[in-house]
Formats: sequence, C-alpha cells, structure tokens
Amino acid sequence: MVRLADLPEYERHHLLEKNMPPLGPLPWSNNTKPLAEKRIALITTAGLHFRGDDAFDFADPTFRAISIDDDANDLIMSHSSANFDRSGFVEDVNLVFPINRFQELLADKTIGSLADVHYSFMGAGLMPKVYEKNAMQVASLLKQDQVDAVFLTPV
Amino acid sequence: MTTGISLVRENAQSMQPPRSLWVPFPLGRPLGKPNDKAFQHRVIAAALALLERTAGPVLEDYPEDAPSVRIEESAACPVSFGNTQAQENTWTARFQDELTQMQPWYELGKRKRRGRSLVGVADEPMENIFSKLGELLDKKALPTADLKWFKLAIEDAKVFYIEALTAQPGEYSAQAIEQILWHKTQLGAGLKVFYQRFAATPKLAIMARMVASREAIGGSTGEEIEINDITQKEE
Repeated sequence: MVRLADLPEYERHHLLEKNMPPLGPLPWSNNTKPLAEKRIALITTAGLHFRGDDAFDFADPTFRAISIDDDANDLIMSHSSANFDRSGFVEDVNLVFPINRFQELLADKTIGSLADVHYSFMGAGLMPKVYEKNAMQVASLLKQDQVDAVFLTPV
Repeated sequence: MTTGISLVRENAQSMQPPRSLWVPFPLGRPLGKPNDKAFQHRVIAAALALLERTAGPVLEDYPEDAPSVRIEESAACPVSFGNTQAQENTWTARFQDELTQMQPWYELGKRKRRGRSLVGVADEPMENIFSKLGELLDKKALPTADLKWFKLAIEDAKVFYIEALTAQPGEYSAQAIEQILWHKTQLGAGLKVFYQRFAATPKLAIMARMVASREAIGGSTGEEIEINDITQKEE
C-alpha cells in the first residue's frame, strides 16, 4: 500500500522528495455536459507502447499514441523506474491502461464516446516542465479529437 | 478537463492537479486489482465522479483497499533455485542454467495469458540477452558502449522472470515475486552486481537506480535527480 506510514524510511524519503509546488495557476475547467455525453481519452505515464514503436529512453518526455483500433493486449512497457510492480500489468493491461473498462462504459452508455487516440508518456527522471512541449501537443491533438475529459493513470 | 488516479497522496497534495483520486494501492497498480472488472469499475466511477465537482483542486481518498495476498499465502514459485546452478563457476553458465529452468514456465505463462507477453522491448532472443549479460559480469565490465541496449535487455530479462514465476494458477503477492526475483535468482544477484558497479562509477552512477529497486538494495538507490532538460542529461 502506498501509505507513507507503512513504508520503510528510505522509501518514504524518496517519495516525499517528489513533492513539488503547483505548476501554475489552477487549470480548472467547468463541467459543461453530463458524463453520458462526454468524449473521454486515456493518458498514462506507464511508458506503454507497441513492439514496433521506439522504446522510451532513460529520461524521455516524448509520447506514444495508442489508437482505439489497436489491440491493447499487445502493449509492452519500457519504463525506466525499477521501483514499481510489473506483475499486475503482466496479468491485465487494464490495471494500468483501463481501455476495456472504458469500452464497457461506452457500451452501457455511461460515457458518450471514446477518443480515437489515447496517449502514453514515461514518467521518470525528468522534471515536469520538460514535458510541457509534448504535453501541449497532446492537448492540441485532444482538442482536435473533440475530447471533453481525460482520465489519467500513473504507475 | 482531467481526472485521474494518484498513488502517492502527498505528491498530489503538493502539486494540486484539478481533480485527483488517491488510491491506497501499490505503485504499478493504479486500478487496484488485475482481472477484477467490478473492482476496476468502482475505482473508475469514483474518479469520473470528480468531474462533477464545481470547485477545486479536488483530492479525494478512495475508501477501498485492494485486498493484497499475504506473502506466505502467495502461490508457490514453480522453479526450485537449488544449489547446483550456484556451483557453476561463471555468471554465463549460471544464467544459462537458470534460463533453461525458467523457459518452460515462461512458455506456460504465455499460453495461460493467451499469447500475451511483455517480453520484447529489446527485440532480441532471451538466450542472447542472458549470454551478453553473463559475459559482462564475467569480464567485470559495464555495458558502456550500449547503455540503451542494457536498459531494454534488463527490462526484458526481469519481465521474462516475472511471467515465468507467475505461470502457475494462483494469487500472487507482488512483494513475494519481488523478493524471489531479487533475493533467490541468479538474475537478481547479477543485477545487484551491475548496480554496485554503476553506483561506483561516477559518470554512470545515475544508471544504478534503473538497474535495481530500492527494495532489492534495501535502501536508497540515489538522491532525487532533477533533470530540467534533455540536453542536460547528455552532457
């Protein structure tokens, strides 16, 4: 469990070192439509990609695109951190990238639609501002795809 | 607008994303439980509900723990890491022995997962990866000429073992798998040697933390590094 009180001192110290101030003024968006009408995209920082894609480098702010037509079971991982569990992702891609769960939400009309393309970053080794250029590009692509909301998953 | 999962509450509290659901799950498991649709749907519903909030930042605590398997109740490891392989004189020989033991369990695990495997980031046969890693260890060398290959090779080697170790049906504790990998296998022992060598080489010390986990080393694998731009890391 990631309750700091349950972790060894070295782990607690390391995780607390990752605290940092907000990146700027709160980027708040008001909710303008019901969930059943929203178009949703997934973004993960798990370092996922397909075999034919470039693997992520040691510290790498670039992103990989995951089409809704791709088979998510073919996703692999080239994350630089040695400090998180991979055995759960071995068992189930949805544990990290819950695309099948969102397809089920689409089928039962809980959400309006799913984006054509979803995105994977590799969250390790770089300060947040290094990701800004690529994050802005993804934001622009999401706007083009008329995405209303993004569901974010870390590892 | 965004909503999402946060695994370390203190980090989310400091950075203040607009809407975030803190979950009490292990790092690497943001949705809590593999192959449990109902559980994953409950987590997703809680995160999506935050989209309705009218003011933020919102940091909500998810109330349900992912029931974790106790180490002592975790399914038995299929491979016996006996003394015979440890008696081989070279890393290369010990790695090849262990790989031979692991191979059928990896294949079984892959069949059990209907062909799904995470192995392949290095795009190289596992036998070659283990040969090269063994040779480097036997020569007391570091892969300075091809660090990128090394990163992908050890990722493949570790995930190959994880898939082999979890090949038999059963509930696995992530912690138990980690302990077997790092403390019972020749691969774990070899990677810890690489860790020590990288850590002792000033220009390459930054690599050490990628080779072995803090749990494997039993402590910090280096202070937090603040790389502010990509050109800086290449200097």
